Amino acid sequence: MAFAVAVDIGGTFTDLVAYDHDTHRVVYSKSPTTYANFVDGIVDCFDKVKLDPARANFVNHGTTLVINALIQRKGAKAALVTTTGFRDVLEIARGNRPDPFDLHYRRDDPLIPRPLRFEVSERIGSEGEIVTPLDVTALTPLAATLKERGIEAVAIFFMNSYANPAHEEQAAAALRSLLPGVYITCSTEITREWYEYERTSTVAANAYVGPQVTTYIRRLQQDFASKGFTGALHMMGSNGGLLSVERSCRQPVSLVESGPIGGCIGAGAYAEALGLKNVIAFDMGGTTAKCALVEDGRFSVDSIYYAGGYVKGFPIKSSVINIVEVGSGGGSIAWLDPQNRLSVGPQSAGSTPGPACYGNGGAEPTVTDANLVLGRLNPERFLGGEMRLDIAAASAAVRRIAAPLGYAGADGTNRMADGIIALATVIMAGAIKTISIEHGRDPREFVLFCYGGGGPLHASALARELSIPTVIIPPEPGNFSAVGMLLADARLDVSKTFTGRLNDTTVASLKNVFAEMEQEAGALLARDFGADEVLFERFGEMRYVGQRHNIKVPLPDTADPAAIRSAFDRDYKRRYGHSDARANAEFQALHLSSFSRLRRPELKWLPRAQRGGDIPPQRRPVSFGAAGLLETTVYDRTALAPGFAGQGPALIEEYGSTTLIWPDDRFEVGALGELRIHCGRD
Amino acid sequence: MQDAVRAKSDAAELDPITLEVIRHGLVSITNQIDANIKRTAFSPYIYEYNDFAVGLVGPDGQLIAQCTGGMPPFVADSVGMAVRDGLSIYGKERLHHGDVLLCNHAAVQGQHLNNTVMYTPIYAGKDRATLIGFFAINVHWIEIGGIQTNSTDIFMEGLQLRSIKLWSKGEPIEEVYRIIENNTRMPNELMGDIAAQLAGCLLGRDLTADVADKYGVATFSGAVKRILDQSEAAARAFIRAMPDGDYRYDTWLDNDRSGSDEPVPIKVKVAVKGDELTVDFSEIAAQAKGSINSGYYGGGQTIARVAFKYLMGAGEMANEGTFRPIKLILPLGKLISADPTAPMFMYPTPFPTVIDAVIKALERALPARVPGGHFGTHSGVRFYGRRTDGSFFDTHDSGHGGWGACATHDGAGPFRTMAHGDTRIIPLELQEALMPFRLDEFSLREDSAGAGKFRGGLGFRKRYRILRACLLGTNLDRTKFPPWGVQGGKEARPGRFMLTKRGATTEQNVEKESAYRLEPGDVVCVETGGGGGYGPPAERALEAIQRDLDAGYITPAAAAQDYGVQIGSDGRVRRQS
Repeated sequence: MAFAVAVDIGGTFTDLVAYDHDTHRVVYSKSPTTYANFVDGIVDCFDKVKLDPARANFVNHGTTLVINALIQRKGAKAALVTTTGFRDVLEIARGNRPDPFDLHYRRDDPLIPRPLRFEVSERIGSEGEIVTPLDVTALTPLAATLKERGIEAVAIFFMNSYANPAHEEQAAAALRSLLPGVYITCSTEITREWYEYERTSTVAANAYVGPQVTTYIRRLQQDFASKGFTGALHMMGSNGGLLSVERSCRQPVSLVESGPIGGCIGAGAYAEALGLKNVIAFDMGGTTAKCALVEDGRFSVDSIYYAGGYVKGFPIKSSVINIVEVGSGGGSIAWLDPQNRLSVGPQSAGSTPGPACYGNGGAEPTVTDANLVLGRLNPERFLGGEMRLDIAAASAAVRRIAAPLGYAGADGTNRMADGIIALATVIMAGAIKTISIEHGRDPREFVLFCYGGGGPLHASALARELSIPTVIIPPEPGNFSAVGMLLADARLDVSKTFTGRLNDTTVASLKNVFAEMEQEAGALLARDFGADEVLFERFGEMRYVGQRHNIKVPLPDTADPAAIRSAFDRDYKRRYGHSDARANAEFQALHLSSFSRLRRPELKWLPRAQRGGDIPPQRRPVSFGAAGLLETTVYDRTALAPGFAGQGPALIEEYGSTTLIWPDDRFEVGALGELRIHCGRD
Repeated sequence: MQDAVRAKSDAAELDPITLEVIRHGLVSITNQIDANIKRTAFSPYIYEYNDFAVGLVGPDGQLIAQCTGGMPPFVADSVGMAVRDGLSIYGKERLHHGDVLLCNHAAVQGQHLNNTVMYTPIYAGKDRATLIGFFAINVHWIEIGGIQTNSTDIFMEGLQLRSIKLWSKGEPIEEVYRIIENNTRMPNELMGDIAAQLAGCLLGRDLTADVADKYGVATFSGAVKRILDQSEAAARAFIRAMPDGDYRYDTWLDNDRSGSDEPVPIKVKVAVKGDELTVDFSEIAAQAKGSINSGYYGGGQTIARVAFKYLMGAGEMANEGTFRPIKLILPLGKLISADPTAPMFMYPTPFPTVIDAVIKALERALPARVPGGHFGTHSGVRFYGRRTDGSFFDTHDSGHGGWGACATHDGAGPFRTMAHGDTRIIPLELQEALMPFRLDEFSLREDSAGAGKFRGGLGFRKRYRILRACLLGTNLDRTKFPPWGVQGGKEARPGRFMLTKRGATTEQNVEKESAYRLEPGDVVCVETGGGGGYGPPAERALEAIQRDLDAGYITPAAAAQDYGVQIGSDGRVRRQS
């Protein structure tokens, strides 16, 4: 009983990382994702490295199941039960048009259509007082109707339930007993914050994915059990922490960003271990690039997420790591508009047909094709040689857009390929600037931490674009999401609407509210994870009186109004560039994050066994923008031991990723096996 | 002059990749500052209503790039107008690094005085010697004094600032701050917003200068020229694809908000010839008595450009080049080319209708793009008065209505008007916590959409039950001239505001109130208009009618009347033979 295991199911591959607590051995395994039954892919991963599931004491699991079900509309047949007069809240939404000049703009359809939205008589006032009691007798015929319609899940939302959840709880209890086997969820079980549309939308999404997630998790447990697994299954939550399976089944919306979160956790763990205060975690995959800020080993967590994007999607009130995503990945297509203006993405060649160089019929030039044309990818070693890349196809694709722009010949193709990368770099840099400027930070004060299949290839150029001096590439950048999941803590986020001006009375009641929340959260973590030590972080959503926009302020000292005020002013100023000593401050909500650390590997054990100097470096010509074609040293990463130092131009190849070192860069291998690149200045 | 020559020669050899990198860089700067302002502003006008726009303007005041989410009436060059006024007053020689200027003047912007542009010159190159442009942000200042709604000239509407320096060479001018702070009813909020606006201007300036310095001033200037030329070429190509012709549409506003009940003519002509499009407003109403006027640039030119931008789509940048092929015929002294002394507090009131009328005029030229008319009126409801503790409260609750049906799908909504953008409904739970009412209903308004092959979007119904005495003000239009259909689609139902006094059994109309006294137990029912239909109703698919019927978007009576269908005892619709 000595293995810790993390499993990340991605769009193309299922990744597994396992760590033996006794021998410190780390094994990596990869297998094609099996859409018919995801467990098959996982089991295949276990088999490939001859790992017995019976020896695992826990499995941390991240999945894109929830987001895929929401976006592809493959969830359950769900109904909404709501206050009389308010069934259209879900459809009217906030009435905004995020793309102001789109004359034909429309939002995605609501998850629950109008004929499946039912009203019951009840009303709670804004102070939590009962204006109209819940008509319990109406629930019996309603349940019969729901049954008749073949409803698999029911979402319950009542107006002002944030101030008094009694009616929602009553209705949920009644419907659970009337409709056994139907998934029942109510808004206040997920969040106690106000805003009717956001809460309705959240509970609707929860109902929509509830049955599927429950079935998936139960099946996973059974299949694992049949392989002799007796440990605990933990799900990767969007908040960056592990969730118990019970909680995941009750609140599947907390898994909405379960997939991409692992990398952020990993970045946080490395930042902490390497003593880096400010880190930008940057992940570049096949279709998108994502970035997040990690400060003092912690990533910032938002309490709202837009499934399907802000422009057309819907909100979910749930703690989600604050990630900015742009449509710029290896498969992103470079194209010309009718004025011959060049763009890269957001359209992607995906995995089928994929970039032109995959040879599966893709004809449009992609970022990966450009990299291949420039000599930055090894056609023989892509994915450890499992796939051979077609340079001729890549060049032909790039030439398609080179010619209209007047770039002729081989040199023109190179310049065009270089241009595609340059533009992709600017777009990715824009995402990083957005997330840092939004938080009032200067990216130059950060270290760029890059992973994902494409991250290490673009890291140095991106750092130059942002004037960031240092880049870190962790071991296993291509499996980094799974690595991060192995390092995750158990985490529980709870929040509550709490309004009042900042003064002695409010602070006194705030202390009590936090004490209650902590007791509850602590008990849950102890029950689900056997946690004996729980760490709490308290936050207040605060603003100046008169504002309607809150900031989330960490409250290390919840006893002293003056300390809270100065923490608020400081955070406000840091984020907004100014603060207002004259204005009163007030609370809108309280958030509590509770953590419990699980047994996890030390980072130094994570790199694959070093094969030492038995693989001699190769050389090949690589194109570096204005510097042209340079003879470049190509290292195998497994041959580079800690302490190794080198100079650009260089390529460092490994399974699933390639790191590009620019001519003026220096690099070294750190104690944890990480590559540290010191970017030269152009 | 020499600069111009150099820019020209550089533009010729500027490589297309550097050009794109600079273009993406500039657009992303305006969007970054947009995000920054939204998160730093004090007033909900900015972070909920998005009543602002961020723009980069060239050294001669030409609009180069803007944030993508800006408020439509600002996007047509409100920032460029202000910069050009500053240039005409100070000349380049009296502007310096670290200067920050303000302009809200009616003779320049021609909109209500709240709309205040702040801008700062951007210098780059060796010793920061070359003026490469201005970074500018137009923000709706929350309160700037004046009597506002009932004004009869602009001087009653608050403080006018005409190209005033707020900062000079990096130092704040405290006297100007003091003037502003002491001429507003809401100094805390306004000064907070100004701080956000200032921080955005300065950060935008520095980010832009970084781009220019990275590629060199000459390359940067050459790229800017090319960006404008390419936008112009895209706009001309779009116009060239329309059939030449003279197009027109006539409609009316209900009244001019001065107490008169006389409809206000909105007559619009559009001429397409080759790659040029002329918007002719010469038959539009004269300047109004009520405060619904706007100036030549802030009114007529803005409306023509906004309508064009809607037609062209969100993909193309809005800049000087995009608007070069648009010509305007607009005599002075009209509703949307009013004298700078005219009252303008409610200047956007005609905007949704006039913008939509320009779009409708092109129905024959762009049959696949022009949708049915949208509900087209601010549909505002205002509850105000004093709470039991004596404090003043005031809420402007907005009406969202249906948008027109398109060639490919039913109309959407409820959204706000074409003069709005990413403007969100104030959450009901928040309203109930702050205001002396409770809501009985908030739902889609059945049968409000115009029928058609594709039907319009629905308006909403919102019923306010008054809990404590307060005053009611309303602002509704298009009740006499409902949202139109296109290509044979039907018109939609207009909005309707009704009051049921406590205990009463009949309703009374409250569509034109400024201070109606409400008592506890009164119920105000606001119904907003729908959007017009697209194509003949007879062509609507039966399944679509069935779906609308099942969902309750239309009633059986309307289904029979609008679509001529019968409903069987099984609830299924069929065409009448």
